[in-house]
Amino acid sequence: MTLNHHRVSQLLSAYLDRELGPAETAAVQEHLLDCASCRAAYEGLRTTKELLGELPVAEPPAGFWAAVRAPWLDRRAAAARIRGVFGRRVAWASAAAVLALALAATPLVKGTIDRLHASEIGVDLYVRQHAQAMGAEPFTDRAYLGLTTGDADLVLSGDAPPAGAAPR
Amino acid sequence: MGRPAAVVSMARPNASQAVSYTTEELARYEAIVQRYARHVYNVAYRMTGNEADARDLAQETFLRVYRALRRVEPDAPLESWLYRIVSNLHIDLLRKRPRGRVESLDAPVDTPRGELLREMPDPGSSPEAIIEREQLDATIQRALGTLSPDLRMVVVLSDVEGYSYEEIAMFLRVPLGTVKSRLHRARQILQQRLARYVEARRRGWEP
Repeated sequence: MTLNHHRVSQLLSAYLDRELGPAETAAVQEHLLDCASCRAAYEGLRTTKELLGELPVAEPPAGFWAAVRAPWLDRRAAAARIRGVFGRRVAWASAAAVLALALAATPLVKGTIDRLHASEIGVDLYVRQHAQAMGAEPFTDRAYLGLTTGDADLVLSGDAPPAGAAPR
Repeated sequence: MGRPAAVVSMARPNASQAVSYTTEELARYEAIVQRYARHVYNVAYRMTGNEADARDLAQETFLRVYRALRRVEPDAPLESWLYRIVSNLHIDLLRKRPRGRVESLDAPVDTPRGELLREMPDPGSSPEAIIEREQLDATIQRALGTLSPDLRMVVVLSDVEGYSYEEIAMFLRVPLGTVKSRLHRARQILQQRLARYVEARRRGWEP
């Protein structure tokens, strides 16, 4: 196997780590005999790896062992410091929930106002009584439960139809 | 295996993670701590470059082990799981604090530790070999901090912790070729950042 200069330069780390197969290893060795710039690159990588390997094992700070052995005691602080993003996600989720609630509540409030209005101007007593009862307890109103938006768009007789409303 | 003799309640009254483990299970947790905590801390330290973050990462990692203790097979190797947690937590940390963690090679490196903010020390400036070594370590750590999290994790697992390509590929769930290319790229960047020391070492100067 013969490898060109570029290919060898890409394989030098793996060669250094003895992570190449026998054929590639032999080809890299052969190239290194001829190529001074690859030899220099190889030496640089080898020295870099050596420097990293000489880093001391970091000594954990005081209190580390106690905290790791009893993680249920002091975790909130650590988790909060790491999980800032998560906290922000919770905030976004809460905001979304509030918005959803507001969207759900709007037809409820508007429907109640309309029903109370209908209880004043309804065409007969039955309609007025029904509208009043449903205004007091909107969730018992079949129209609200089944047809929320339809109910909210209710046009009362006697009212001017809203602008752009479909002709009936 | 008989019924465990004693059940130790580890729960505090208000703790949401109320878990009751047997003494046997707690002994197993202790054994996991003994076996892995130092390495997990070391990797976390090399990834974050400072004690406070490394401690948080390691602590949170072991909290997850603790919570999942019953699902952990006795004597199963946990490196893969632990280093993946550390890697993910580290990425969470960077997302939370991108400002303090500049990943660009050209930008000045900012770490919470003051001594890492200083200029690269002149290797010949101090007569004390120990101080020189400490300066070299700080410089290496600072150079590690300039790598992207992906490259950093691979080079820390390989060159600091000494794992093989195959192990690293398994830990991080990436193909072997990805480990190879990331490691090569990481070493090239580090070599550039540490050029002075690499040159000095090659000429026979020992810190």
